[in-house]
Amino acid sequence: MTAAVAVEGLQKRYGDHEAVRGVDFTVAEGEIFALLGPNGAGKTTTLEILEGFRERDGGRVEVLGRDPGVKADGHWLRGQVGLVLQDIAVEPYLSVRETVARNAGYYPDPRNVDELLDLVGLNEKKGAKVKDLSGGQKRRLDLALGVVGRPKLLFLDEPTTGFDPNARRGAWDVVRNLRDDGTTVVLTTHYMDEAQALADSVVVIAEGRIVASGTPDTLGGRDSAQTRIRFALPAGASLADVPLPVNDVEDGLVTAETTEPTAALHRLTGWALDRGTPLDRLTVEQPTLEDVYLSLTSEYVQQEASSPSSARGRKTPAGRGRRPGRSRS
Amino acid sequence: MTTLIPPTAETAAAAPSARADAPRERNPLALLGHQIRYEQLSFWRNPQSMVFTFVLPIVIIGIFGAVFSGSEGQDFFFGLTGMQYYTPVIAAVSVLGACYGQLAIVLAMRRQTGVLKRLHATPLPAWVYFAGLLVHCVVVSIVDVALVFGIGALYGVDLPTHWGAVLLTLVLGAASFCALGVGVASLIKNSEAAPAVVQFIQFPLVFISGSYFPIHAELLNTIAGLLPVKPFNDAMLALFTQDAGFQWRDLAVLAAWGVIGALIAVRSFRWDPRPE
Repeated sequence: MTAAVAVEGLQKRYGDHEAVRGVDFTVAEGEIFALLGPNGAGKTTTLEILEGFRERDGGRVEVLGRDPGVKADGHWLRGQVGLVLQDIAVEPYLSVRETVARNAGYYPDPRNVDELLDLVGLNEKKGAKVKDLSGGQKRRLDLALGVVGRPKLLFLDEPTTGFDPNARRGAWDVVRNLRDDGTTVVLTTHYMDEAQALADSVVVIAEGRIVASGTPDTLGGRDSAQTRIRFALPAGASLADVPLPVNDVEDGLVTAETTEPTAALHRLTGWALDRGTPLDRLTVEQPTLEDVYLSLTSEYVQQEASSPSSARGRKTPAGRGRRPGRSRS
Repeated sequence: MTTLIPPTAETAAAAPSARADAPRERNPLALLGHQIRYEQLSFWRNPQSMVFTFVLPIVIIGIFGAVFSGSEGQDFFFGLTGMQYYTPVIAAVSVLGACYGQLAIVLAMRRQTGVLKRLHATPLPAWVYFAGLLVHCVVVSIVDVALVFGIGALYGVDLPTHWGAVLLTLVLGAASFCALGVGVASLIKNSEAAPAVVQFIQFPLVFISGSYFPIHAELLNTIAGLLPVKPFNDAMLALFTQDAGFQWRDLAVLAAWGVIGALIAVRSFRWDPRPE
């Protein structure tokens, strides 16, 4: 397997704040890789080091086989790597088509401008001035600018923040199509459904360290986690009557957790049918990626707060991971 | 850790654009032409920049024309009439504004909004970007000077005859002021402060360089003569008064300032709005 991105022991410090503290991961060529984590976790810093905007303090980084910290490789890498950043930054008075055509001219083998506008759904807006676009349209223009040079590797920093649900689905299709054409995609997102829908592999980063990695389906032992069965207790039945070990009643719902959902459901529904009472509001669910993500990051945050050695430089939990004046890191 | 395997000759031939080690480069001159074209488009589409760049010098020279109407034959400055003095000098101020002022503010804004960061992430070479800006500023300066000269001519000022000298003076002045503009933009931390910083430098310089009224104080003229604005004023003025036209000494002082601006720019120009 070849690696599009390889990171080993990456470190970055801002003053006495360690934004990234020894991160290792590998992005395989042709996959969609999601970097997840709370605000201030070090995601954007990591991305900016990979993109060549920031210098690292330690560790090894390889992007398409080159070191983004080496200035001499910068020009080559800029031709191979596409970026969609959080800030939308485009000349306000050019038209949509002119903006894409301008950037197309910077690359040796750009995409066809009109086909690209079709792909991101901006064909009807191609004559509009950039300043007259909506926020979502500007982000789609940004996506077009990120891929106009046919990058081998594309960085997407929160690509669908602020999109309506339809636009998000559209953007996901675009990203999947790019992957299917052989583009490697590295993205950050706060939407776990986005990571679930798009990512081939996932890394969760918190306080500058990796706390879990895997595929969206296996992250944090999610595949072996217990299935949760919930239902309303039938009238006249007590908790002791239920043929499953149940934990508690919450909002009138009984919750049972099991690693054998098929057998458990069989027993439960058999019991209800024998009694001749329906099981109202019956749901069966695996923990979602979001559940796993929240438990991973909250566990970590609690652990950190109780560890005296990590309290240096940050007096209050509210201030964790945030430097004054930095809106993101 | 694995690394990318360099493409074989076979795969490279099949997909020339995908060659990892020798991507086809665009012809730099074609790229420069492309950049100039879009720099022009961005400028001409923006009504605000048009007003400040073109209307202001027209208004100022128009006002001077009105002030001096009726005194056409009178000696105003070493044998020149008022309009003979102000036509070249206001043309010089318009070049200063279009190159130094506009460029410093536009670059500070583009940096703050992240446009420069995005641009720096493309393979566009930095020198092409700045050369594109320089050509753009020279074009705008030529339009500005033509407008001011045209209005001067309406008020009866004889235009210079050495157009080669005019063009050379103009291009050298524009280039030096552009370099100073990029240099000052490199030192400005925050785009909101840019217009104030630009004016803070420009206004006193213009004032002591005789752009709004001729100055006869010898000490002040000596000092101003070593700063960038007065040499350009004098070089422009000379085009209207002497047959020789070209002022090497003044232009050398101006070019030296251009080199200083360029050195500051090379040392400290930033593309990223949030430096470490």
